[in-house]
Amino acid sequence: MSRRPRGRDERSLGASVALHATLLTATAIALFPVLWVFLASIKPQNAIQSSKVTLIDHPTLENYRHVLFDTSFPTWFLNSVVVAVFTMVIGMAMSATAGYALSRFNFPGKRGLMWVFLITQMFPVAILIVPIYSIMASLNLIDTKASLVIAYCTVAVPFCTWMLRGYFDTIPRDLDEAAALDGLGPFKTFWYVILPLARPGLAVTAFYTFLTAWGEVAYAIAFILSDKKLTLGAGLQQFVPQFNPQWDLLTAGAVLIMLPASLVFYFAQRHLVAGLTAGGTKG
Amino acid sequence: MSTPVVFDAATRVYPGSTTPAVDSLDLEVRAGEFLVLVGPSGCGKSTSLRMLAGLEDVTSGAIRIGERDVTHLRPKDRDIAMVFQSYALYPHLTVGENMGFALKIAGLSKAEITARVTDAAKVLDLEPYLDRKPKALSGGQRQRVAMGRAIVREPQVFLMDEPLSNLDAKLRVSTRTQIAALQRRLGITTVYVTHDQVEAMTMGDRVAVLKDGILQQVAAPLELYDKPANAFVAGFIGSPAMNLGTFRVEDGAAVIGEARVPLPRTATAALTESEVVLGFRPEALEMVAGYAPDAFAVEVLVAEELGSEAFLYGTLEGASLRDPQLVAKVAPRSVPPKGSRVHFRILPDRMHVFSPATGEALPTA
Amino acid sequence: MTTVISAGPGHEPGPARRGRVRRLLDRHWYAWAMVLPTVLVLGVLVLYPLFQGIYQSFTDLNETNNRDLICTQTLGGGEDCVPNPDRAQFVGLDNYVDLLTGERGHFWLLLVNTVVWTGACVFFHYTIGLGLAVLLNRTFRGRSLYRVLLIVPWAVPAFVSAFAWKFLFNPRFGLINSLLSNVGIDPVDWFNHRWTSMFAAIVTNVWLGVPFMMVAILGGLQSIPADLYEAAEMDGATPWQRFRHVTLPGLRPVSSTVILLGTIWTFNMFPIIFFVTGGEPAGETEILVTGAFRAAFEGLRNYSLAATYGVLILSMLVVYAAMYRRVLRSKGEVW
Repeated sequence: MSRRPRGRDERSLGASVALHATLLTATAIALFPVLWVFLASIKPQNAIQSSKVTLIDHPTLENYRHVLFDTSFPTWFLNSVVVAVFTMVIGMAMSATAGYALSRFNFPGKRGLMWVFLITQMFPVAILIVPIYSIMASLNLIDTKASLVIAYCTVAVPFCTWMLRGYFDTIPRDLDEAAALDGLGPFKTFWYVILPLARPGLAVTAFYTFLTAWGEVAYAIAFILSDKKLTLGAGLQQFVPQFNPQWDLLTAGAVLIMLPASLVFYFAQRHLVAGLTAGGTKG
Repeated sequence: MSTPVVFDAATRVYPGSTTPAVDSLDLEVRAGEFLVLVGPSGCGKSTSLRMLAGLEDVTSGAIRIGERDVTHLRPKDRDIAMVFQSYALYPHLTVGENMGFALKIAGLSKAEITARVTDAAKVLDLEPYLDRKPKALSGGQRQRVAMGRAIVREPQVFLMDEPLSNLDAKLRVSTRTQIAALQRRLGITTVYVTHDQVEAMTMGDRVAVLKDGILQQVAAPLELYDKPANAFVAGFIGSPAMNLGTFRVEDGAAVIGEARVPLPRTATAALTESEVVLGFRPEALEMVAGYAPDAFAVEVLVAEELGSEAFLYGTLEGASLRDPQLVAKVAPRSVPPKGSRVHFRILPDRMHVFSPATGEALPTA
Repeated sequence: MTTVISAGPGHEPGPARRGRVRRLLDRHWYAWAMVLPTVLVLGVLVLYPLFQGIYQSFTDLNETNNRDLICTQTLGGGEDCVPNPDRAQFVGLDNYVDLLTGERGHFWLLLVNTVVWTGACVFFHYTIGLGLAVLLNRTFRGRSLYRVLLIVPWAVPAFVSAFAWKFLFNPRFGLINSLLSNVGIDPVDWFNHRWTSMFAAIVTNVWLGVPFMMVAILGGLQSIPADLYEAAEMDGATPWQRFRHVTLPGLRPVSSTVILLGTIWTFNMFPIIFFVTGGEPAGETEILVTGAFRAAFEGLRNYSLAATYGVLILSMLVVYAAMYRRVLRSKGEVW
């Protein structure tokens, strides 16, 4: 039996099977916990904690009804949306301008700033909570969403700045110079020329800042005192009393939390590779 | 109405460096003139242009456009337009938007912008492409968009930074003539930077040669070719390059191997050393049959037969040149074979003599 | 783009110092304006607390003595304040001595846990991320779908994934134990032993962290010029040799950055340990960060001890980063 010789870019059947088998396994592992939480969320309360493990058991939306109508979940959800969107917008604005300045200008203090960014990554956030709490208290910001937005920006901005700087570095400087000759000042150059070209980088920044704020727990518990102002991450902790987690509420809540995150993810994912590469290849 | 440009002892020292990238450049570009800045890489030609554009600080000295001192003005206040080596077209704007961008920033009316962009597009054959993005264009088309972007501005001065170096050889030759013709038609003062001396010779009204940040000579192309001010210009201008070598001087003649080449009296009078740098272009050599007192022997290594002309490359016997090989232009279709030994003499009035100490040209007539 | 002096010709240089400040401002004001918001926020909310934390680690500050003044309401509705006689005092290195000798807390246990935790997580993040990235860097049908699905864990909030995995590892009704019993292995009481508990936490964090590594490495792979592979193939290199001599060196700039960042992040990764193991059994799986958090927020809130943990963590990471850079530099990496 004669066979057509294999072309350069084709692989043998065995290699193909191995490739797809590996990727399928990896994908299954990546998706399964999420799927499992979803499956649990549509089981009746007693079936979730049954020692007899089943995939689907009397599917019902009862848990969702319970979470949405009998708890403060909708309020928390709205709070989280507000906090996450503000963190995203403010965080992007801060890291994009700072990243541009670091990428394009040599100014006194630049090296120091780069160091501060690295150190910031090293100091454990968990320990900053106390001092930041007292600062917020003296600014009368405790129990406000603003306190969370500001705190989340400090977490997300250093990494985003560093990453966007890398991305801006890949945009040729000739364009800045052409813009200068066309009559644009530094701020307008940034706005009209650089930002439109930095979409992949900005998409990653948006994704990252949103996620930082969306599911955060520690700051939210520390800064927010009244039940009506809690965000999702903090609010859901109420379903986890010390010894008897309410898995029915928890699983349904978790699925609902993941929905907006997946939406942001869906819009950003096309750009993730390109956006992160530039940051990654530059030290 | 075009405008002259003056560099007045303009100097650029990069921070952290002690030697200036451009050292006290004195240069006047006449109104409406096409001036080419040429030199090897790192000679300061691009820096000079960028100083004029306002993209590079001027450490000391001044730059004037017409009557205005622009030394410390921002680029946008200088009334100049620039064509970049990479073209620097905005990828997110269409061809038309790219060309009209500066006008839009300057606050011109939409009708005016459209009119000027359409005019420029007509001149450059870009009309069908106005709605495309730069990505969808060929290299030559992008180059024309970059030109168009400069033209619509109707500036006082055009600056061009190696605008042809990203084109293939054939396109480069045709674009070369187009740019030169366009500049002559518009009559706008133009400063053009290139490392390619053929571009310099063919395009410029005058050519300024730079080396290590220092201006070597400014002159019309033929004058540069015929009367180079020093050995560097002599070797840089012309293709194939001029043969240059340092030789001993005995009794008013340079010793090249066994030959004694008489030097012009004016040159020997100005000479203070016992050596001399001699330059002779490939076409200044004459092949002689048999012995002559001023003819030196050359062993042929390679013969380049081009049909309309021919060049011999060989080694000089008993003497050496700056380049390892001597180049001679010979009559085509009767080229001596590889490995043969031939005699050449330098045509007496085609010889260039330079001081070995300073490299400056010595008077030959 | 180099900055351009915008001072006009009429600009008179004043006294030397003022002229210098003025020139610096003229030249750099927009760069400074662009970084100002970031600098302000980071300065107020990170640098100031950081220095405050360093100071506090030398005191005995806790919940009971953190006031400088004790104020009592007076009858007129005003306040009467006197200095707090018991306010926090400077105690020198006491906190450090106590921590490092094991007098208070379990520093060395936590350190071992942290090192195991960080080492294992970063190792698996990188190797699995690299493996998947290499697979995804080929062309085949369905590649972009695989890519999207594999990144999904990144989009899941950390505490949700912690719960999801805790749910899977649940000794009573978790899926993992029921799978184990299906293949005839006894169910494991995951959170009752130090290392099985740690194992569960590491699995969770690996699941969570692989997508970032994969995407970063995939980007790095795409920046390796294809002709390098072609040249290696012409030189007769086997696929393994091409991976070893083209892919890995080409990835080095990306790898060195993501490994450093990954180490720092994992070292300080708070929610996973906190929510998955909660330190079970009996605090044996705490890492330094969670230990510090408990010192600060549980029982008698001991802020100075928490700050001491923080300073120790920071100094270890600074030393690590400095050594890491030095090693890279000695290998000729520009970083």
